[in-house]
Amino acid sequence: MIGIVVVSHSPRLAEAAVELALEMVPGERPRLAIAAGVDDLIGTDAARVAAAITEVASPDGVLVLVDLGSAVMSAELSLEFLAPHDFEIRITSAPFVEGLLAGVVRAAGGASLDEVEREARGALESKRGHLGDPVETVPVAEAGELSIDLRLHNSTGLHIRPASMVVMAVTPMDATVAIANLRTGSGPRVANSPTSLLTLAAQRGDVLRVSASGPQAQDALDAIRALVESGFGEADAAAAPMPEAPARIGPTRGGPLGVSPGRAVGPVVRMPDPLAAPILARRLARPARRAEAARIDKATASVAAALRARAERVSGEAREILDAAALMAVDPTVLSDARAAVLDRGESAEYAVWSTVEVLAGVFSAHGGRVAERIADLQDMRNRVVAELLGRPEPGVPVQSEPFILVARDLAPADTALLNPAVCRAIVTVEGGPTSHTAILSRSLGLPAVVSVENALDIPEGTMVLVDGTTGTVTIDPSEVEVAEVEAQVGFAVEFSGTGATRDGHRVQLLANVASPESVEAALAARAEGIGLFRTEFLFLDRAQAPTVDEQVAAYSDVFAAFAGKRVIIRTLDAGADKPLAFVTLADEANPALGIRGYRTSWRRPDLIDDQLRAISIAAKSQSANVQVMAPMIDTPDEAADFANRCAEQGLGVVGVMIETPAAAITAPELLSLVDFVSLGTNDLAQYTMAADREVGDLALLNDPWQPAVLRMMQLAFEAGAAAGKPVSVCGEAAADPLLAAVLVGFGASSLSMSPRALGHVGELLGTVSLSACRRAADAAAGARTAQAARAAAAALCV
Amino acid sequence: MAVTFVQFMDWLRLTDEHVIEARSELTELDSAIGDGDHGINLSRGCAASSGKVDSEKPEYLDDMFTLVGMTLVSSVGGASGPLYGTFFLRFATSAGHRQELTPVQLASALEAGLAGVVQRGKPELGDKTMYDAMQPAVLAFRNAIKTGDVAEAALLASRAAAAGRDATADLVARKGRASYLGERSVGHIDPGAASTALLFQSLAEALA
Repeated sequence: MIGIVVVSHSPRLAEAAVELALEMVPGERPRLAIAAGVDDLIGTDAARVAAAITEVASPDGVLVLVDLGSAVMSAELSLEFLAPHDFEIRITSAPFVEGLLAGVVRAAGGASLDEVEREARGALESKRGHLGDPVETVPVAEAGELSIDLRLHNSTGLHIRPASMVVMAVTPMDATVAIANLRTGSGPRVANSPTSLLTLAAQRGDVLRVSASGPQAQDALDAIRALVESGFGEADAAAAPMPEAPARIGPTRGGPLGVSPGRAVGPVVRMPDPLAAPILARRLARPARRAEAARIDKATASVAAALRARAERVSGEAREILDAAALMAVDPTVLSDARAAVLDRGESAEYAVWSTVEVLAGVFSAHGGRVAERIADLQDMRNRVVAELLGRPEPGVPVQSEPFILVARDLAPADTALLNPAVCRAIVTVEGGPTSHTAILSRSLGLPAVVSVENALDIPEGTMVLVDGTTGTVTIDPSEVEVAEVEAQVGFAVEFSGTGATRDGHRVQLLANVASPESVEAALAARAEGIGLFRTEFLFLDRAQAPTVDEQVAAYSDVFAAFAGKRVIIRTLDAGADKPLAFVTLADEANPALGIRGYRTSWRRPDLIDDQLRAISIAAKSQSANVQVMAPMIDTPDEAADFANRCAEQGLGVVGVMIETPAAAITAPELLSLVDFVSLGTNDLAQYTMAADREVGDLALLNDPWQPAVLRMMQLAFEAGAAAGKPVSVCGEAAADPLLAAVLVGFGASSLSMSPRALGHVGELLGTVSLSACRRAADAAAGARTAQAARAAAAALCV
Repeated sequence: MAVTFVQFMDWLRLTDEHVIEARSELTELDSAIGDGDHGINLSRGCAASSGKVDSEKPEYLDDMFTLVGMTLVSSVGGASGPLYGTFFLRFATSAGHRQELTPVQLASALEAGLAGVVQRGKPELGDKTMYDAMQPAVLAFRNAIKTGDVAEAALLASRAAAAGRDATADLVARKGRASYLGERSVGHIDPGAASTALLFQSLAEALA
């Protein structure tokens, strides 16, 4: 027989309620204990509740009835005080007086904990019925023994008619069926009432977990599967495509679309779909809880170890991020709360971890700002731990050592940060358009990409595919000849001839962006005509103090030597925003992208820029490269003049500034009267023109150099260059897009600088178009209304 | 600079003093929108926990705060018993078997306490509860230790708690017995938020 504990603020209330209940059972009385009052005053005491539970402990379980307010909290808290035990304790929301009466009667009859609680919770029904209240019961079900996951693809989802069909199908069967909505985490609900199923709010595209127990469990599941798969007989269901994320700005789906040129071949590796929130199928019995809680420790330790191992293989910021993630995986607050949820409430390890993190995320998001930014990290950790617990593959981009083709529903910015272009050969996604994040990222990495491939997820893992990002095709099991052809070109899908020019011979220097001495080799191998952007941050990042002049001279000399006799544009330190430096960047800028960054850091540390210019000057004198120097993030003519003066003091001849802000684009005529050239930094120019943070993936569509506003901003600079008779070059992601490169040449770009991998594609396309076609494309793109229309107009004229 | 065991003792002692001083004020606040027992209950709880600490003389932070949490649970009748009890029990677990805490460890312990209150009472901001004072205070502390010292962080936390307390006057209660009053609860400061502000005021004084 189960035990019953009565928790109340008032000892007198509890005693009277118990007296009333016991009048109903003349024979054997159930074991009853009262926990009421605090020091004989009104109130509740969790320790007394724990003692009362211990007093009536029974292997059949203990039911705890509570009156209100702190009684509920004290009862919950009492579970934390109890010694390990192997019986279930259930706190019920049953009405205090009626529930106690009904519960005592059932318990005295030897009913199980489940039966007693159900009776107690339903105890208001007779009073409700008597007084004519509408009945509104939505019982939460226990999950059954067998289960299947089904995706809804009829247009109305599990609405009233489909819900009724489910209920009608299973009612005659000897089976108990429960359904949960994995997207919303609601349910499981017993499939015996259509209104109960309606509360699942299941829409088209949602996955239902249907579970059943009983002799006809399998039959019931089969019947529901048939209904769901037939779309509940709705006419549009069979033919209709699966719904995707709600349509946003962008083209409608029109089949596979090549968004980043080039060809690659390799085995398919699927990116695991995001995890659904686990559902709490049933509460674990006491004896199983310790082992379940131990699973959390094991999983978190293993996730932390894996992250630490990965951290050891990288350096710099990536290492700090991974180390921090490893630490977060074993965060004591999360661990102790999750353990408590298992031990006290019988939650599964997966559910406990998930819900604990949700609670914390709620706390974080309430605060907003920087604290809220940690939610993504927290959820990433949660996903890793839950995947480990479920034995599922690690979420996010798979870690592979052999080359592969990544197939995913869509890529999030966070996924792509970990993408290694050395092994990931190409990207194929179900979602996405020409200006999606995937497209922008794959172009910047020089990876072929095809998006909007509806059936991509049907390609089995490991299948060899050939991805052609130029034509937008994905070939399954390509022939040996095709594979050999592509593999022969691995590295640079299209070889660059070493001289950039349009079809009619208009010269455009194609240069490489170089971020470290190591990447010089790639630039040389790709036959770049020079370096259009030599980033110098690598010398400054991850250190507490600036490098010495001698150290800088050595590093710069190596790069200049590699490009003997060729043009090398070196950019001075571009710290701040996404590249904070310990010794110049303020720790707590509210808005780093609009803060002290780029050339502005010279206000605070003029010694840094002077030292760097001295080092560049010394290195340049010892080498034959045609060294030119430019400053990042210039806003005003005064800044440009200041930079030109500092360069002159160090004896540097050819001086330029970057145009990365609308201010610089608009004042380009004045800037060009002070310096010898300008170079467009298109990534920041897009960010500041569109007022769209580059780090925010949802803004990728705004952050697109094809946006007409961005193109017209660039046009201002090109016009100023033409008027002054001085060169305007482009370094930035835009130059790596062959079509956009043609537009930039049409505007009058004298040189384009890009990642070495992009040189071949850009050179190839330029070689097929005339200068006049480029000019027409530039006019059409700048005059277009949308980014898509700009791209389409350019494509019509250049491809 | 680490926060010492003596400073934590001071925190508890000062909380005890402030709650007893403010007893009638808290009771008055609670009479307006609750059952009028908050001042009495809490001062009894504080007295009981001080007595326990004096007699058992714990030497480590986890032992001391566990003792405080358990005593509050068993001596404060209303909802604040299990809530403050859980706060200190989680605080104790996070603080661990130590005799002093770094500012970061203290922030984590306060966050653990806050998470405990969230788990126990399921409050949301704006429900007109102690959480409206506690949440801003804990977050202010965490943010402030990044740049300032621990005394200043505690001071900022104390101010955040006071601001959160004052802001409860304009809210409609959505939790606890005051929620039965609905709109009539507007215009009164929540007594739980008021006692939470005392807790953080005491922390600021102890660390000053």
